[in-house]
Amino acid sequence: MRAEQRSGSLMAAPYAAFLLVFAAYPIAFALVLVFLQWDLVTTPSFAGLDNVRLLANDGRFWRAVANTFVFLSIHLPLQIATALVLALALNRPLVLRSFWRASFFLPVVISGAVVAILWSNLYATDVGLINRLLVRIGLTPVPWLTDPSTAMPAIAAMVTWKNVGFYVIIYLAGLQYIPRSCQEAIEMEGATAWQRFRHLTLPMLLPQTILVVTLSTINGFQLFIEPYVMTGGGPLRRTYSIVLYLYTNAFSYQKMGYAATIGVALALIIGAVVFIQRRVIGKEETL
Amino acid sequence: MKTLGRIALYAGLTVAALTFIYPFLWMASATFKPPAEVGTLALIPDNITLDNYRTMWARAPFGRALLNSTMVAGTITLAVLVFGSMTAYAMARLRFRGRPALNAVTLAVLLVPGQLTLIPMYTLVVQLGWIDTYAALIVPYLFNATAILMMRQFFLQMPQSLIDSARMDGMGELRILFTIFWPLSKPVLSIVAIFTFMGSWNEVLWPLLVVREQQLMTLPQLLTVFALGGGAGSIGVSLASAMVLVVPVVIAYAFLQRNFIESMASSGVKG
Amino acid sequence: MPSVHFDHVSKRFGATTVVEDFNLEVADGELLVLVGGSGSGKTTILRMLAGLEEVTEGMIRIDQRDVTALPPRERDVAMVFQDYGLYPHMTVRENLSLGLRLRKVARKEIDRRVAWAGDMLRLEPLLDRKPKQLSGGQQQRVAMGRAMVREPLVFLFDEPLSNLDAGLRAQMRIEIGGLQRRLKTTTVYVTHDQVEAMTLGDRIVVLADGRIQQVGKPIELYRAPVNRFVAGFIGTPPMNFVDGQLLREDGSTVFAAEGVRVQLPHEIADGTGSSEVVTLGIRPEDLTVDSGDSTDAPADSIPGRVVLVERLGGTSHVHFDAGPHRLLASVSNDRLPEVGDSITVRVRAERVHLFGGDGRKT
Repeated sequence: MRAEQRSGSLMAAPYAAFLLVFAAYPIAFALVLVFLQWDLVTTPSFAGLDNVRLLANDGRFWRAVANTFVFLSIHLPLQIATALVLALALNRPLVLRSFWRASFFLPVVISGAVVAILWSNLYATDVGLINRLLVRIGLTPVPWLTDPSTAMPAIAAMVTWKNVGFYVIIYLAGLQYIPRSCQEAIEMEGATAWQRFRHLTLPMLLPQTILVVTLSTINGFQLFIEPYVMTGGGPLRRTYSIVLYLYTNAFSYQKMGYAATIGVALALIIGAVVFIQRRVIGKEETL
Repeated sequence: MKTLGRIALYAGLTVAALTFIYPFLWMASATFKPPAEVGTLALIPDNITLDNYRTMWARAPFGRALLNSTMVAGTITLAVLVFGSMTAYAMARLRFRGRPALNAVTLAVLLVPGQLTLIPMYTLVVQLGWIDTYAALIVPYLFNATAILMMRQFFLQMPQSLIDSARMDGMGELRILFTIFWPLSKPVLSIVAIFTFMGSWNEVLWPLLVVREQQLMTLPQLLTVFALGGGAGSIGVSLASAMVLVVPVVIAYAFLQRNFIESMASSGVKG
Repeated sequence: MPSVHFDHVSKRFGATTVVEDFNLEVADGELLVLVGGSGSGKTTILRMLAGLEEVTEGMIRIDQRDVTALPPRERDVAMVFQDYGLYPHMTVRENLSLGLRLRKVARKEIDRRVAWAGDMLRLEPLLDRKPKQLSGGQQQRVAMGRAMVREPLVFLFDEPLSNLDAGLRAQMRIEIGGLQRRLKTTTVYVTHDQVEAMTLGDRIVVLADGRIQQVGKPIELYRAPVNRFVAGFIGTPPMNFVDGQLLREDGSTVFAAEGVRVQLPHEIADGTGSSEVVTLGIRPEDLTVDSGDSTDAPADSIPGRVVLVERLGGTSHVHFDAGPHRLLASVSNDRLPEVGDSITVRVRAERVHLFGGDGRKT
């Protein structure tokens, strides 16, 4: 109807305008910035493929990419395992079920900045809570955030801790969809608890696992506030993240073209990694 | 055997729950401890002090930051609900030219990682002269594609006869949206409200880029700057400043945990 | 003076024509039923009258006023929806009064009308409940009340009974009919149920594929359907159809098909050609069943074999095969044949219908 057409257009127009300014334009301009050199003060100058060439040979950038893969190689398996275990523990009639669930979820609602500040203290070498605990049970303290070999794993463990509640909810939702008849059928076959898990629960949770992998991968590539607050990217740049590098280029060095190039590269890397992950996991599904 | 299993299960759950809760409890208690005591594992301080809070409050404008955060997150949440539901209503229930395109673009926007547009957004804000203004913190978040899609999905399930009745009763579209759809959409509106507010409340990267003036900083930003800049001086003080950010959230979470969990889980899955 | 006019009204969605050149006048105070299958365009016509769908071509007038381009609220019509469209978050009272409040009717007048409708529809004890707390029939009455309090020029009903179970449907049908006769408000009523149409309508419009097939009083449609579609649509159980030929024999005309021969009276046979391919229509009650394949049966009878007997109490349905044709006779219960029996069926030839190859009545 004409009236409907009119009110529809009017009600959607502000959003359409918003998309144009804050989605379409930035996406397009990101691609333009790749070819520019611009410090936000002087006029931008055309730089051809300089930014791309620089990026390809930028050890710091590739260090950050490598760091992210180190992060993911620890974070992903740990995240899936802890989320699964906690979800399975919760997926039964329990006293105080919502309390357990709520306590697992608590770190999810807390700001990443707070969590990072809190854990810098927990991880502190001399006065940190964790090391005091280790000392009390007779172990030597570990310089968590100051040793290049433990810094990234420590951050990965912390991020796992912060997000696990979120993935527990996803797995719990998946567990509800496993039909009771399937459970009963496999019990009738005489399967042990482990066999039931291996042959029924785990395969049935594949969609949730794919989701967990995808979301935590994207999350991992967007790592910023944790190294920013806890390590500044050190020691020996071992916790330098891609977004931290992007931020530094934009904010400290005023290199907009290069920072945007990093952003575009990051988007492409995320797309490629998620795509490959899905291919690999998807293939397992058909086997 | 069965009881043994149950004991083990509850013991495991308790350990897990402590793992998630204890650090926050320790943090809360540490803010009331004098510097010498902060490192201890005990939750009840031997000497209770408010010095950390006094110092924190005196050294940086945390009151102002609390106000800024509330204002920014509140405005964004209200806008996302009001404007977002208008958009969602149009996209779900009104036929107009360009609607399919708008739907498609909205879905596509969700696939673009924020880091791609971060820098162009930043340069845009610089060019608009919005650095160190509330506009920089608020305007880019006035609409939220995830929220619009969620509300649209909900609105699609409303019976057409409801809209028809309302039109026969003489209502215009905005009136239908706010007096008929809104009261019936409380579940989705509360979900959208919570994740929008929380997202804004906890956001730190964007404020770090566009705000340098301390008086305009939101809580997580001021907290980060304060802790990193050495302004805090001691663990107790920096944790005390973190408490300003955490306490309102934890109180809200305690009362609305079911809504929080549902909200943040569904927004994460859709986004 | 007619209160609703449709003037060459068409409705197209893109390339699809839903309603084609629709012309109709609804008399003041009349209850007119639009009946047809799904996709017949009946609901679209109603929604165009309501102002909920745009008219592609043509004009609609209500009480002589051109309303074609007006939004619903300016048309002075009220509608009862298939799923009622009650506001779930408002009480019955609020549901009833909302339209009046939005039109700035005086508080006292609103109270008067709500009380009036509540009284008429026996809703008083329910006024402060929410729709979810009501039964289907009660919700239905609230929906009607909401239309009534508006005191509109025209009532529109969109399949209002289709969500109710059979017993309640029959009861509400009587209520709606009684209410409409008391209020004397012009009413357009859409249904797919021809029984509803027959029992409620002052006049019925039969629709198919967005076109009017026939307009008339219920009994006219039943007795003199203009085409095969209307003949088959109106009446339960439906009319029997047999495809065959017309033959001239000794000055009279005979309908002949395999297993079925009927000698047609002159009034029916007049104007038909010889050897014409036609369809014979016989209503089930125009067939009389004689048990036994009596060889001395009258010449004008059909031999058949019973395949199914549905005993309904007062009358029963006897399904039988006559040659390749499966026919149905509606008979009294006195002498029912058994399945497998051979029977002789007599046709009341003066009541049969003939339809040409194009489906039209010859």
